[in-house]
Amino acid sequence: MNIKINGETENIQNESITITDLLALKDVKMPDMVSVELNGDMLERDQFSSTSVKDGDEVEFLYFMGGGDK
Amino acid sequence: MTSHKFATRCVHSNNDTDTLYGETVCPIYQTSSFAHDDPQDLSDIFNGRQFGFSYSRIANPSVAHLENHINHLEDGRGAVAVSTGMAAMTIIVDALTQPGDHIISSNSIFGGTYYLLKEFAENQGLHVDFVEGNHVAGYKEKINDHTKGIFLEIIGNPKLDVPNIKEITTLAKAHHIPVIVDCTASTPYLFKAKEFGVDVVWYSATKWLGGGGRSLAGIIVDCGADWLNNKSKPLKSFTEEFKQMGFIARCRKLRSNKGAVLSPFNAFLIQMGLETLPLRVAKQCENAKQVAEFFESQDSVNAVSYPGLTTNPAYAVASAQFSNGFGGLLTIRLGSKEQCFRFIKALKLCKNLANLGDLKTIVIHPHSTIYRNLSDEEKDQAGAFNDLIRISTGIEDVSDIIADFKQALDASQGDVK
Repeated sequence: MNIKINGETENIQNESITITDLLALKDVKMPDMVSVELNGDMLERDQFSSTSVKDGDEVEFLYFMGGGDK
Repeated sequence: MTSHKFATRCVHSNNDTDTLYGETVCPIYQTSSFAHDDPQDLSDIFNGRQFGFSYSRIANPSVAHLENHINHLEDGRGAVAVSTGMAAMTIIVDALTQPGDHIISSNSIFGGTYYLLKEFAENQGLHVDFVEGNHVAGYKEKINDHTKGIFLEIIGNPKLDVPNIKEITTLAKAHHIPVIVDCTASTPYLFKAKEFGVDVVWYSATKWLGGGGRSLAGIIVDCGADWLNNKSKPLKSFTEEFKQMGFIARCRKLRSNKGAVLSPFNAFLIQMGLETLPLRVAKQCENAKQVAEFFESQDSVNAVSYPGLTTNPAYAVASAQFSNGFGGLLTIRLGSKEQCFRFIKALKLCKNLANLGDLKTIVIHPHSTIYRNLSDEEKDQAGAFNDLIRISTGIEDVSDIIADFKQALDASQGDVK
């Protein structure tokens, strides 16, 4: 399936994948420092393992290392 | 990893696989800044769209490693490590309140915390009510529409009272008010804050978490509070953007904007302490109980307070709330300030200093030091009596600790001037 991660289209071999598994697949460092937005909706952390991404979805990983205002 | 027991998780942080060269401890990233060849990468990092680090006031890998580790020990939603416990408390109050807001605090709190809240009240427009910490009725009476937080300590310092946390968190949740507990004296080894409904835990990690008396640090942990139903205006834009991560996001932003950062080296030292937390605290609890029992047997000691003594008023609540022990803090009352000073001066092994949770046994006379600027009434409410010595037991052989205390007690006897 094709999904967008932080604006970039990526091809994922799985037909469906949970957010938890996607974070692992993308080797996201320090997952505690990441918020995840799926199709414009911010997910709660306890939804990561039960929410799956499908073809055409848009995922935003937001890291808490940013500077500036927010 | 979370299926492992607590002691195992202390040694093996959840970041164990995140290494560059197979190192078994997180390196000390003693750098102010992080270079990136591609300006887009640095821009994405600043905008939070790419993992990475830019400037250590904002985030540092060594500090992040510690945050992840303590967060997993607490089973929290997120943690923020800062320069000191007082910085942690300051950031929490700033995160939740604005001028005109109201908070309720136990009156049985560390002197530094008390001064800080008075500073907020006198100079920053915050309304603060101090209540008898153990009685849920006191908190209930003071709750109003502007109340944005309830603050207390897991073991009052130095009164050593132990509030019934569940009663207080149940009351607070009915009003959508977060409960913030200073768990410096318990650590996650003795008290599982999340299980008792605590919303935010904070630590002076300088004390038992770090354990070696080597470095200052503070830690804030979000235990999983419901921030979406929280009334704090300063949090609103953060919960809109980050949902339930809003509080942690705001704390991180305050830390960055106010510069209350933890040095990478101190983060390393505190994390080193986490690895032996269960061993140290278990020994400190064991020693504290034996030292308390020794003092109980001495006619020259007017009173001994230790939550682990069955005769102590806090014993029942402490037994229900703590596992693995009752902490390393106890107090004794010798009858006068002069006797306290003679006692302390006679000590040969134990140290007279302002700290807690060290590997060495520590004493202090709170009335003339930490609490010196409080009124007599405030000192009494805090339990900082004129004839009281606060003791934080270390991990020495308890026979040596007791021998030192015994000879000091003998030396303290004499005519009161």
